[in-house]
Amino acid sequence: MAVLTVTAHARKTRPARRRTVNIPAGILSAIWLAIVAVPIYFVVITGFRTPDAYTENGPLDLPTSATLENYTSLWGLGFATYLTNSLLVTAGTVALVLAVALPAAYAIVRNPNRLLRLSFGVFLLGLAIPAQAVIVPIYLIITRLQMYDSLAAIVLPSAAFSLPIAIVVLTSTLRDIPGELYEAMTMDGATTRRVFTRLVLPLSRPGLVSVGIFVGLGAWNGFLFPLVLTQSDSQRVLPLGLWNFQSQYGTNVPGLMAAVVLSALPVLALYLFGRRHLLSGLAAGFGK
Amino acid sequence: MKARTERPGLGWAAPAVLFFAAFGILPVIGVVYLSFTQWNGLGDPQWIGTANWAAMGSDADLFNGIGKTVTLTVVSWLLQTPLALLIGVWAAGPQRNRAVLSTLFFLPLLLSTAAISVTFVALLDPNFGLAASWGDGNFLGSPERALYVIAFVIAWQFVPFHTLLYQSATRQIPRSFFEASAIDGATGLKQFFHITLPQLRNTIIASSVLMLVGSLTYFEMILLMTNGGPGTATRVLPLHMYAKGFVGFDMGYASALAVLLVAAGAALSIVVVRSTGYHRMSSDREGA
Amino acid sequence: MHRAILAAGAVAAILLTAACGNGGPGSESAAAGGKVQVWALEDAAVNPIATASIKSFNASTGKQVELSTYVNDAYKQKLQVSMGSPQAPDVFFNWGGGNLAQFVQANQVEPLDDMLAKNPGLGDKFLPSVLDVGKVDGKQYGLPMIGVLPVVLFTNNDVFAKAGVKPPKTYGELLSLIDVFKAQGVTPIALAGSQGWTELMWLEYLLDRIGGADKFQAIADNKPGAWEDPAVIKALTEIQNLVKRGAFGTNYASVNYDNQGASKLFATGKAAMHLMGTWDFSVQKDANPKFISGGKLGFVPFPAYEGGAGDPKSVVGNPSNYYSINASSKNKDVAADFLAKSLSSDEYINGLIDAGQVPAVKGVEATLKGKPNSEFTTFTYNLVAEAPSFTQSWDQALSPKVSEKMLTNLQKVFLNKLSPADFAADMAASK
Repeated sequence: MAVLTVTAHARKTRPARRRTVNIPAGILSAIWLAIVAVPIYFVVITGFRTPDAYTENGPLDLPTSATLENYTSLWGLGFATYLTNSLLVTAGTVALVLAVALPAAYAIVRNPNRLLRLSFGVFLLGLAIPAQAVIVPIYLIITRLQMYDSLAAIVLPSAAFSLPIAIVVLTSTLRDIPGELYEAMTMDGATTRRVFTRLVLPLSRPGLVSVGIFVGLGAWNGFLFPLVLTQSDSQRVLPLGLWNFQSQYGTNVPGLMAAVVLSALPVLALYLFGRRHLLSGLAAGFGK
Repeated sequence: MKARTERPGLGWAAPAVLFFAAFGILPVIGVVYLSFTQWNGLGDPQWIGTANWAAMGSDADLFNGIGKTVTLTVVSWLLQTPLALLIGVWAAGPQRNRAVLSTLFFLPLLLSTAAISVTFVALLDPNFGLAASWGDGNFLGSPERALYVIAFVIAWQFVPFHTLLYQSATRQIPRSFFEASAIDGATGLKQFFHITLPQLRNTIIASSVLMLVGSLTYFEMILLMTNGGPGTATRVLPLHMYAKGFVGFDMGYASALAVLLVAAGAALSIVVVRSTGYHRMSSDREGA
Repeated sequence: MHRAILAAGAVAAILLTAACGNGGPGSESAAAGGKVQVWALEDAAVNPIATASIKSFNASTGKQVELSTYVNDAYKQKLQVSMGSPQAPDVFFNWGGGNLAQFVQANQVEPLDDMLAKNPGLGDKFLPSVLDVGKVDGKQYGLPMIGVLPVVLFTNNDVFAKAGVKPPKTYGELLSLIDVFKAQGVTPIALAGSQGWTELMWLEYLLDRIGGADKFQAIADNKPGAWEDPAVIKALTEIQNLVKRGAFGTNYASVNYDNQGASKLFATGKAAMHLMGTWDFSVQKDANPKFISGGKLGFVPFPAYEGGAGDPKSVVGNPSNYYSINASSKNKDVAADFLAKSLSSDEYINGLIDAGQVPAVKGVEATLKGKPNSEFTTFTYNLVAEAPSFTQSWDQALSPKVSEKMLTNLQKVFLNKLSPADFAADMAASK
C-alpha cells in the first residue's frame, strides 16, 4: 500500500547476498563517516574539558585533564527543570494525540459516513502544512485562552499539528485488520466499545508505538512553539534551554557541549532499548 | 440492526475533529483573516483590507526569501539524495563491520535541531572554533557561503534518516536479480545502474517527497544558526515571516506571508497523498 | 563570570523551586497579592545587584518581589507578546523613548507622577537628561534602573603599545590606525557583525558626527526626506569605505556578540578596537578579568569627524534602561514602593558602581572616585555630563517594524549588497 517499507520489515528478510564491492560508495561512506564523527567527537570530548583548555588547545584537542564540572554545574543552571518540562510536554503531546487519534481512525475505517470521509480529507490536507505558518494566530488563540507561558500552550498546537500524520498511520494500520474479525465479534454481540478495547486496541499496537515515537520526537525537539508561547524560566523546555545556555555560557563552549550531551541522553536511551521501534517511529510518515 | 451496532458513530471521531478544528483549522482561517489586518501584538487586530497583500509587491526580501527557499530545497536534495542513496546501498551489504558503522551514521538523529545548531555554531566560530583553522573562518557570515553551510548542516542531520530508507529498500531487492545479472557478466557498477537504481525508484520518490516536506521546517535551524543573515543571505520564506511577525511585530503582514506558506504546505500535502497512495485508502476496503 | 553565573543560577533555582510549589504549569502568574514579577535583561554582573536589593526590600517589607531575566533579543519579543497577556510582569525593564512610548500608547504603563509626588526628592536624585527619556508626553513612565550606557570606543592598550600608536582623536587618525593594525596582522576593529545592532553603532556615531544630532531626530519624527538626507548617505558611504579598507577584518559577519565572540576577540588582542556600549566593561570584567585588572582596557570618545556638523562631545547609546509599572498589574502599590525604595538606595547605587556602572544619579562623582574602576566610571560620567546631546540607540527609538527593516538593510550595506542610496530610499518607504 505505502510506496515504501522500512527497516522493521527488512529485518525479517535479510538475504545473505554476495555482491561485488561497490568501491565509490565505500569511499563516500568513509568520507561521510568522518564528517559525522568529527562533530560527535567534538561534542563528547569538549564536554569533559575545562574552558581554559578549550581556548588554549583548540576545539579538537585530546582531553588532557578530564573534568566533570561542566556536567555538575548544569544542574545549578536549571537543567533539571528544562528536562522535566520537556518530558512533560512530550508525554502530554503523545498521550493527547493517541487518545483522540485512535478512536477517530477506528471510526474513519469502519464507518463509511460522508462526514467522516470529509474530515479524513481535511486531515490529509493538513499533512504537510508547517505549524510555523500559523504561529501568529496560534499565539493569538493561546493568549486569548489565557494559556500563554504554560506547558499546555506548547502541547495543544503541537498535538494538533501531529494529528494528520497520526490519523493517516493509524487508519492504515486498522485497515489491515481483516473485516471478518470485526464481523465475528459483532456476531457474538460485542458492542462498539468492546470491539475497540478487545480488537482495535491490541491489534493497532505497532501503529501506536510508531505514531507515539514519531509525535514524541517532534514534541521533544520542538523549538518554535516553546519560543513563542512561553517565556519564564520555570516553563522553559530543553531546546530553548540549550539556546539560552549559548548566551549564558558565552565563550564557555565545554559547558554548552555538556548540555548538548545531556539533552541527547533520553533519545539515546530510547535508541539503545528500542532501536527497532525508534526506527519505525522515525519513518512513521511513510512506513507502517 | 445487530450488524450496525459495530459501526462506530461520529462520536468516536468527534474529539479528534473538534480538537483539530480548534488548533489546526481555526489558526489557518485565522491567518487568512489576520492577513487583512494590522496588528502589532498589542491590543486587537485592526481591519485594513488588502494593504498587506499590496505591500508584497514592493518587498524585495519576499522574492529573495522565495529564491532562498527554493535554492535551499534544491541544494539539500542534490546533496542528500546521492549521499543517502550510495551510503544506503553500501550499508545494505553483508559485512559485519557495516552494522557498527551504520550505528555511527545514525547518531545525528539522536540530537535535536537545537543541539545540532549550537554545536555547529561553536564549531564554526570564525576565531575560536574549528572554522578558525580554515582560511579566515568566515562561514556563517559569508553571504556567498552561508546558505550552503546551512544545507551542509541540514544534510548532516538528515542524511542518516534517508540512508536508513535506502538501506532497507536495497535489502528488499530479490537476490535472484543480482545472480541473474552476474551470470550475464555484469560488474558491480553495471549492477548498480541496471538493477539497484531502478529497483529503488519508489524509495527515491518517497525520500524526495520527505525532503520537500521537510524543507519547510529547516526554518528552526536557520533561526538558531544565522537568524537569516548575514543580511538576508539565509532568510528563507518562513524566516522572513517570523522576522516580520516576531521581530518587527508586523503581525498582519507576517500573516499574509504565512498564507503563502499554508498554500505551499497544502499543495505539498496533495503531492504526498498522491505519491504515497494515502488517498486510495479511504476507499480500499469500504463496506468490508 | 563563572561564579556570577553560578550564583545567579543558584538564585534562579531557588526561585524556581518556590514557584513550582505554587502549583502546576500555567498557574504561576502575577495574581493579586501574589509575587510581584520584575522582568529584566540577563546580565551576569548586574542581576546579582538587583537580586540583593530585592532581597532587602522583601526582608524589610514582607512582600514578595521576584526577578526573571532574559537574553536581549528574546526579551524584546517576550515583553511585546506578554504585555498583551495576563502573564505580563508587574515591573518591566525597557529602553525608554520610543520603546516605552509604544507601550504607553497601548495604555499598558502606569504613570509614576503620583508616586514621585508622594516621595519628595526622589525625582531630583536622577540626572534630568536621563530622566527625560523615561517621559512620554510630559508624564514620567519610567525610572532609570541602571547606569548610563553611552557607546564608546574601547582600545586594547597592549596592541596599541606594541604598534607604538595612540588612540584616535579624529576620524582621519582612525583611518590611518586601521592601516597600521592591518599591516601588523591584527583585526583593526572587532565587530559582532552577525547582529545588526552592533553595526548600527557605527551609523549612529557617523551620522551624529557628520550631520549633527538633529539629523536622527528628523528620522525619529518621521520628517519627509529625513532618511535621504545627504548626511545619512555620507555616513553610509563611510561605512562601506571602512569595510573596504578592512577595518573589521573579513570574517566579522560570522562574529556574534551574545556569545561574547567580539568581546573575546578584542580582549585576546586579536583585535585592536571595539565600538560598544559601556556595558561591555562589565562583560569583560566577568569574562576576561585579567584584561581589566591588568589595565589593558583603554577607552576614548568616538573620534571627531573633520568638517562634520556634529559636536564631537555628543554621545549615542542608551541614556539608561528603565523600570516601568504595568498598568494592569494587581500589585501596583507594592511595585511603586519597590521602585521608590530600591532604585535610589545606597545599596543599589553602590552595587552598580562596584560593577563598573555609572548610575544616572546626580553627584556621584565623589563616590565614583573612591571605588574600583574609577578611571572608567569617571570617564563615562564626564562623557555624559558634558555631552550636549545623548541620542538614544536607533533600534530602541524607532518602531520595531522600522527597526527590523533598518537592521536587515544595514547588514546588507556592510556586506556591500545594498548601496547607501538604495538603503535611504527603502527606509524612506517604510513606515
